[in-house]
Amino acid sequence: MGIQNDRVRFNVGGKIFETTATTLAVAGRNSFFGAMFDENWNFQTENSHEFFIDRNPNCFSILIDLLRTGELFIPSNIPEKLLYREAQFYGLLDHVRAAKWGPFDGNQVRFSQAVMGQAPGDGTAIRAGPDGGCCVAHGSIVHVYDWMLQELPPINLDYQRVNDIGWIDAETVVAATSERLGRGRGGAALFGAATGELTHRFQVTHEDQVKSYTAGALSFSTDYKIFSSCKGRSNEYGIGVWDQITGQQIDFYYEPIGWSLGDADRLQWLDNTNCLLVATLFPRKDNCYISLLDFREKEHGLVMVRYRGSNHRREAGPRRDRYGREQFHLSRLMKGKMPDEPCYPKLALYDGQLFSSMNDSISVFSGPDWVLTSRLRRSYGGSICDFSIGGDRLFALHSEENVFDIWEAPPPPVT
Amino acid sequence: MSAQKKRNFQIEAFKHRVVVDPKYAEKTWKILEHAIHEIYNHNASGLSFEELYRNAYNMVLYKFGEKLYSGLVSTVTSHLKEIAKSIEAAQGGLFLEELSRKWAEHNKALQMIRDILMYMDRTFIPSSHKTPVHELGLSLWRDNIIHSSKIQSRLQDTLLELVQRERTGEVIDRGLMRNIIKMLMDLGSSVYKVDFEKLFLDVSADFYRGESQQFIECCDCGDYLKKAERRLNEEIERVSHYLDAKSEAKITNVVEKEMIESHMQRLVHMENSGLVNMIVDDKYEDLGRMYSLLRRVPNGLSLVRDVMTSHIRETGKQLVTDPERLKDPVDFVQRLLDEKDKHDKIVSLAFTNDKTFQNALNSSFEYFINLNPRSPEFMSLFVDDKLRKGLKGVSEEDVEIVLDKVMMLFRYLQEKDVYEKYYKQHLAKRLLSGKTVSEDAERSLIVKLKTECGYQFTSKLEGMFTDMKTSQDTMQGFYASMGPEIADYPTLTVQVLTTGSWPTQSSTTCNLPPEILGICERFRTYYLGTHTGRRLSWQTTMGTADLKATFGKGQKHELNVSTYQMCILMLFNNADRLSYKEIEQATEIPVSDLKRSLQSLACVKGKNVLRKEPMSKEVAEDDSFFFNDKFMSKLYKVKIGTVVAQKESEPEKQETRQRVEEDRKPQIEAAIVRIMKSRRVLDHNNIVAEVTKQLQSRFLPNPVVIKKRIESLIEREFLERDKVDRKLYRYLA
Repeated sequence: MGIQNDRVRFNVGGKIFETTATTLAVAGRNSFFGAMFDENWNFQTENSHEFFIDRNPNCFSILIDLLRTGELFIPSNIPEKLLYREAQFYGLLDHVRAAKWGPFDGNQVRFSQAVMGQAPGDGTAIRAGPDGGCCVAHGSIVHVYDWMLQELPPINLDYQRVNDIGWIDAETVVAATSERLGRGRGGAALFGAATGELTHRFQVTHEDQVKSYTAGALSFSTDYKIFSSCKGRSNEYGIGVWDQITGQQIDFYYEPIGWSLGDADRLQWLDNTNCLLVATLFPRKDNCYISLLDFREKEHGLVMVRYRGSNHRREAGPRRDRYGREQFHLSRLMKGKMPDEPCYPKLALYDGQLFSSMNDSISVFSGPDWVLTSRLRRSYGGSICDFSIGGDRLFALHSEENVFDIWEAPPPPVT
Repeated sequence: MSAQKKRNFQIEAFKHRVVVDPKYAEKTWKILEHAIHEIYNHNASGLSFEELYRNAYNMVLYKFGEKLYSGLVSTVTSHLKEIAKSIEAAQGGLFLEELSRKWAEHNKALQMIRDILMYMDRTFIPSSHKTPVHELGLSLWRDNIIHSSKIQSRLQDTLLELVQRERTGEVIDRGLMRNIIKMLMDLGSSVYKVDFEKLFLDVSADFYRGESQQFIECCDCGDYLKKAERRLNEEIERVSHYLDAKSEAKITNVVEKEMIESHMQRLVHMENSGLVNMIVDDKYEDLGRMYSLLRRVPNGLSLVRDVMTSHIRETGKQLVTDPERLKDPVDFVQRLLDEKDKHDKIVSLAFTNDKTFQNALNSSFEYFINLNPRSPEFMSLFVDDKLRKGLKGVSEEDVEIVLDKVMMLFRYLQEKDVYEKYYKQHLAKRLLSGKTVSEDAERSLIVKLKTECGYQFTSKLEGMFTDMKTSQDTMQGFYASMGPEIADYPTLTVQVLTTGSWPTQSSTTCNLPPEILGICERFRTYYLGTHTGRRLSWQTTMGTADLKATFGKGQKHELNVSTYQMCILMLFNNADRLSYKEIEQATEIPVSDLKRSLQSLACVKGKNVLRKEPMSKEVAEDDSFFFNDKFMSKLYKVKIGTVVAQKESEPEKQETRQRVEEDRKPQIEAAIVRIMKSRRVLDHNNIVAEVTKQLQSRFLPNPVVIKKRIESLIEREFLERDKVDRKLYRYLA
């Protein structure tokens, strides 16, 4: 492909562009340009030495610039959606996404945009997907957004109330729903993120009978297990364990008398210790339990460590040795005025930074001493009821208005 | 369609119709279908990529993805059916070539089709859960070509036949083979496994079963192994050339099973060429081959090891029990060493120093060396021989090597204390007669014994060396104190031996000649004067003397004799003829020693300074002896050896044995007490086991003896039997 003459001339929608084959090679074999210049297509230059492409020239200029420099600059007069569509045509969407925002750092993130939703109810949970998308649970429906923040078909499981959601991978969302007596089976199920279609329902089997159940909190382990707190009719209270790949139930930890596992509000898998933290809150009684299920002693049943405390703590973080300090921060922060309808604080740990939501802002603590280093705040939308970090983005869901914010780190500066 | 007069207008009109034309989808698909035909017909140069890509894009955009996809499937399928026909039509050897060529073409076409349909591949296919274009192309190829009824079995037969031909020595087109096999692998590992690998392994197993049967009937073991090795390497090479690397383990497994495992018993035991013959003839290469082949199959090496072990035990047993060999202890030990060297070399050269083989070798030697109760004595004699004369003119390193080898044999001995007994006796003789060649070598050996058996084993031996050293100093002091009167006496050298460090000698004395007695008394006075509280007694059995004698024709000789002989000869200063009785009376030498001394003085040719009457070999009590005037010798110095049995005679052996047994008793008792002191209570079997364990570095105690010792300890109230359980013993503090 023109080794002597590296230059390539395009006529895109009537506008002439010149670039080099080297620049185009950046697009990779798996793109429009990669295919076009493959030797299989001994491309005909016709007579004018130019290739005609029947596409939008403005977007082409942005994309060709992206290939030249690796940086994305979108002029304000070009809608992002238009650019994305053109990038999709050329097979350059991955390039665009990679250039759009930088690696996540809680002290560098900037507010990117807010997305309004039309669901009437309060948001239950928001979860960041691995490739920059997210899903938001509102009452009995889950709205899914791809990384371009285009809304995909929503997810529902017989319109049962959704208790928790999570991503298995970039294509698959799992939703945990309540069972409604006599109306639907509820439970946890897998959905295609792009299509919103139900692809698999996780079943709880008790004495060879499939039981209907309410799935509460969800957690995932790196060895492809899914955990969910389960509430059934009679015996099926406890933690269900399924295989992510086969979808089959591989275990069920029945709740011992006097323990509350089936009611758990929050599960957290601890990788290096092979333990599952189970946190259960009883808001009215103002006390909570944190249990630790040790999976190493499986044959001896569960070894449980129970923690019983006042209702200040709402979150089970992955750093157990830091509990005291986290608690200190939270109680201090809570001394201020309490809104009438409090949003419980949430915690997240990402790459050595601790994130904690309180009212309408998220605090970032860094370093070994967990120093408060940044505060992410938006003035409207009310308290933050949930937030999630993933795909190098932070999503924060507000409780008063149906809106969620996206925070992302800017691309590396021009040097 | 571009053959119109006005190109620009035509394109323009076409574009307008795109949106309005209800047959849009059909028409667009026709364009793409045509393009796919052209691609398969190698006619793609006239196609515009941009146009095709745009058309495919539009079809997906306007929701005709399903139509595009199903059209793709049917078009590619129909092309593949055509291709299948042309492959089927290929004759004989061209079949594979045609298949390979068509496969390459299909791959290229597939790539181009995928380029056109890239947008569909990226958006429509994931959301509709369909197979991506490339995988689709592969699976259509598999279903329409590879699994077509007319091709499938022909392909399999052809491939297997080619392998078979290569095995019989023909040269085949490996590149073509590689392409076809690669194709099967590209179509998925299950295709490769089901359509080729499984059959390949089955056919190979049959082939090697037959071939190995044929080989085993007509080859000897070495040749068979060579052939098996070559076949194995051929298969490994075949895999590396044109099969999936994962097949290597499977095919080598087949060869191992058919060629080695099923015949290994017969191979190893093969008459005139099996393992034993290889060992006997030192066939390192064949042995190495046997090792490397048999290690590949389960129980292969243990078979080799067992046969080797029993062979070594058998030959070793013959060696140590052969009465011929017992005549010469030095030769006996030398043969053991040679045997060990031989097998060490085999293990290192052929069996890659395999630990399990080394262990087998060691246990075999341990087994047969201890079959002969005289092994410890012979080994000590061997060392004695080496240290007396064998090491003369040998470099220090070589000495070390010999000593190390002896130590290696020593490790096999169970009765190390017996060896110690003999070693002590032999060392004493060497030291006292000043016969040792190298004191360094002596000390080096003692250091080796020390590291092997610990301090207590050698402390007495080291004591002997210390005695020798102090004696030298003592003699110097003695002569310094004597002053000039020393000239009045014969020269006396005394070695003062500490009782206990040296082998106990029967303290028989004799009457020393008056010439000597004087200086002996002087020495005694001197020694006891410098060391109070000591007792000296003369060990006349071990000394030597140098005598100057003048014979009939005036020739002078210096005679080197033992103390006893010296006593006898000194009598002849005053008499020419003495009867046996007179000599006995005068010297008071014990009968057996006296007879032996007289024998060596009168009956050895060339050394007969005395003459006996009557002339006979044996000394009788009524014989009489004369000074032999006619004694002749070319040498000035004449050494008159004592007729000593180097090996122990039967009664001596019994005595040594008894002494050893006697010495073991306190050791066993000490061990029992040590064990009981820490355990407090123990049953009989455990005591026996523990004692055996503690003492096995020195000897293997007999359980009956242990029992007797326990009984003796009970009698002496060190231990008691448990009152309830009679099998238990308690320690009494």
